[in-house]
Amino acid sequence: MALNMNAINFQSPKCPSFALPPIASHRSPKFFMASTLRSGSNEVETVKKPFSPPREVHVQVTHSMPPQKIEIFKAMEDWAENNILVHLKPVEKCWQPQDFLPDPASDGFHDQVKELRERAKEIPDDYFVVLVGDMITEEALPTYQTMLNTLDGVRDETGASPTSWAVWTRAWTAEENRHGDLLNKYLYLCGRVDMRQIEKTIQYLIGSGMDPKSENSPYLGFIYTSFQERATFISHGNTARHAREHGDLKLAQICGTIASDEKRHETAYTKIVEKLFEIDPDGTVLAFADMMRKKISMPAHLMYDGRDDNLFDHFSAVAQRLGVYTARDYADILEHLVGRWKVENLTGLSADGQKAQDYVCGLPPRIRRLEERAQGRAKQAPRIPFSWIYDREVLL
Amino acid sequence: MASFTASSVSFSAVSCSFKQNKVSSLGKASLSFSGNGSPSRRLPALRFRVSCAAKPETVNKVVDIVRKQLALPADRDVSGESKFATLGADSLDTVEIVMGLEEEFGISVEEESAQSITTVQDAADLIEKLLEKK
Repeated sequence: MALNMNAINFQSPKCPSFALPPIASHRSPKFFMASTLRSGSNEVETVKKPFSPPREVHVQVTHSMPPQKIEIFKAMEDWAENNILVHLKPVEKCWQPQDFLPDPASDGFHDQVKELRERAKEIPDDYFVVLVGDMITEEALPTYQTMLNTLDGVRDETGASPTSWAVWTRAWTAEENRHGDLLNKYLYLCGRVDMRQIEKTIQYLIGSGMDPKSENSPYLGFIYTSFQERATFISHGNTARHAREHGDLKLAQICGTIASDEKRHETAYTKIVEKLFEIDPDGTVLAFADMMRKKISMPAHLMYDGRDDNLFDHFSAVAQRLGVYTARDYADILEHLVGRWKVENLTGLSADGQKAQDYVCGLPPRIRRLEERAQGRAKQAPRIPFSWIYDREVLL
Repeated sequence: MASFTASSVSFSAVSCSFKQNKVSSLGKASLSFSGNGSPSRRLPALRFRVSCAAKPETVNKVVDIVRKQLALPADRDVSGESKFATLGADSLDTVEIVMGLEEEFGISVEEESAQSITTVQDAADLIEKLLEKK
């Protein structure tokens, strides 16, 4: 699952009305911003505790899928074995982080490191802010494996369950684990970033977790992961392209390789949801509309570095400005999924199902229009220091 | 169609900090409740507010835009007091309503101001405030 998103937070705002964070200079449509509680927010009359990371403020709903539907997923296990597990790569055929890093066992190690650092010098700070945010998101993998194991009917009951779903989840996690490892080692060697601050951010983030509002429903959960995998594929594809533009072909290869993993994962998750649309079109379209109404929240939206109470907003703004992941991408992904799952052609839907169908199909242009408006009104953005780069400033 | 009496106009002019030229234009402008004659329309209650109360035409235009955005049935009552959330507007609807208001009135709503809009009246009042500034 590509929950490794270094992108804009598209969560529901705190209040039903058009709620915005106090900083109003981003180019991204503000209504998408996080429904998170920052300590010291004026919603809650508390004294700000030092070093308190943001937390989820919405009511966390559980087990919204009717229990009889769990049967569907049990019945799908054979199908999953033949159709989903095939998208995993055998470990012997997999790349490993070492394939893209200087070889410590080689005499040329020091030269390779020197070259890596030379190339990294040519890459600007704003790119590194985005790459670091990306890496931090990847490193919060425990949260994502946990999330998959919250889903009814498909969770890994023991940690070594033989069901196809559990096999998928563990193998998916294992593949994803390489992403964080690779980016971590690259960033460690490059010398352009403050590893301690990054490590601290990771510790906070894993401690914070996240609630994607999948409510233990695999319908909601797999729709979420389908969206996220595609988002992360786009995002890593963009960081790869930028790295190439900055002349670092090895880094481009790193990002590109990670992106291709995400693409493979996207294929698997969208296939699951496609099957669900076949088996239970009404339930699945309702789930799709529900997730989109709640908005797809970014996995690292609770990120905190002990200093910046709006770290995720700042990071997303840079990702938006650099075009690594934007509000436009959000609309494009949604539109792609609507097409991929042939939502427009669904028939035999209930009245609610039809409303959900209309909502989902009509949503991409609305988001695009919103984004155009936001772009048209973008004010002069501030420069903000990021602790990840020793408090050097970057334009939002 | 009902019309405001002169005395109530001047009262509201006094309670709002309208500039002189605005007061006179109020006098010139149609004070009648120029709605579409829709049976569901009713006069917004005259309030002794500290803040400026918007003209009924403004409120009506806001109501029209809200009705359109939320595809409300004709028998659903919408007035100045109506809260967007109660009418079924989600955050996206609210933004789009604000955008519709911007287009209709030729104004630009700052994001901070938009944040404070929860009712039709709020929107109408903000619009008038922005029109006044132009």
